Amino acid sequence: MDKQKKQKRKPGVCIPWEEKQKELPKISGDKELVRKVWEDIDSLGYVYIWQCLLSF
Amino acid sequence: MADMEKLYAQRMKRYVTAMRNEKPDMIPIRPFVAEFTAKYAGYTCQEVTHDFEKAFIAARKCAADFDWDAVVANMVYVWTGLTQAIGLKYYAVPGIDISPDVGFQYLEPPEDRAFMKPDEYDQLIEDPTGFLFNVWLPRVSADVCTGAGSPSLHGLEARAGSPCYGEAKWYRNNLSFLKGGMAMLSYFNSFGRQIELLRKESGTVSAIAGILKAPFDILADKLRGYLGLLTDLFERPNKVLAACEALMPHLTHVALSGADPDKNIPIGFWMHRGCVPFVSMEHFNKLYWPTLKPIIEEIWSHGHQVLFYAEGNWNAHLKAFAELPEKSIVYHIDNADIFEAHKVLGDKFCISGGIPNFLLSFGTPQEVRDYCKKVIDGVAGDGGYIMDAGAIMQNDTKVENIKAMTEFTREYGVY
Repeated sequence: MDKQKKQKRKPGVCIPWEEKQKELPKISGDKELVRKVWEDIDSLGYVYIWQCLLSF
Repeated sequence: MADMEKLYAQRMKRYVTAMRNEKPDMIPIRPFVAEFTAKYAGYTCQEVTHDFEKAFIAARKCAADFDWDAVVANMVYVWTGLTQAIGLKYYAVPGIDISPDVGFQYLEPPEDRAFMKPDEYDQLIEDPTGFLFNVWLPRVSADVCTGAGSPSLHGLEARAGSPCYGEAKWYRNNLSFLKGGMAMLSYFNSFGRQIELLRKESGTVSAIAGILKAPFDILADKLRGYLGLLTDLFERPNKVLAACEALMPHLTHVALSGADPDKNIPIGFWMHRGCVPFVSMEHFNKLYWPTLKPIIEEIWSHGHQVLFYAEGNWNAHLKAFAELPEKSIVYHIDNADIFEAHKVLGDKFCISGGIPNFLLSFGTPQEVRDYCKKVIDGVAGDGGYIMDAGAIMQNDTKVENIKAMTEFTREYGVY
């Protein structure tokens, strides 16, 4: 699986944090917290579409 | 409660020991009962399909009344309340599109109206998740619509799902995501409670956790359609291979993210139309297997077994499956010769199933007992066997035959 072409979006990701971060003002507080919460919620979008495809 | 916990621990040990191809105290019984549960609990197929709480009650009633070691928490897995909320078009729903007494059906569109067009492989390969949201979902949902510039339009109205003309369309579009997302979350969260109730009420183990399908089957089932994919195998085989490869990391990720954290229960792998004669041996060897085998190996490297639910007859490919690491899979037999499968795979993997569904539906209890004896004598001598029917059991399965299968296995299947 390592040989595969690089894809636009990795597994588990709909909108990468790196992309979202560019839209935000400079984060004065805990940047890691913002990243983690973004990625946790973003992964639910991924679950939605892939479970639609696989399970329903 | 303490007794139930003890029973649960015994059953878990029995089930896991057999799945590791070892000899438990007795043969575990793990029937994949789907619409049978409705019949037994006094519901219609519509009730258990459209109201998942009734499906949960029916599954728990069967688990409590029969002496089974493990069951699927809800084998009537497709909750059509959810599919309606999303607006999915590829289901025939009991009580709406078909009789309330018939299990739900998948509807595959004709080749010229496939959910993915033959010239869209590159889009899928480049960005599978984006393709699913932007192209596939608007086509499979009656409510998700497409606006100007949408990739699913691609300049051709005929390709699109439903165009977003007017406020009413946008309203339905937005609600599809909101209701679909919340309904899916509610449904998935309910499984935790259901699994806990199975444990507390009857000491029954939840049989599987997580889902896997082969990249090739996903292309056939939900994207190109079986006929479309067959055409592609000859006209654009390299695109098919690249698409399968593009799907691999995603299908692996989904399988692992739903797997049992304790690594006891296998991931359910539903095998559809990747075998001879649906495809040629050459296509299996060049496309299906090279894009599935690494997924299984990756999952096993994380310590999870995969339950190969080999619907139909996959015996032409037993030698390929035998390449997999020892104990990495549990191999389930539907219509194939279970004795041949055991001969090829039995040294490495646990075997399950093999009791013909037609016998459970139309045979007599004595015929069921005789067949169970034949299977137990042939494949279960050294352990590594789990009693089950060949395929999921629907509402044509006779209660007395399920009882015969269960009781005989308990009497005769003690080591």
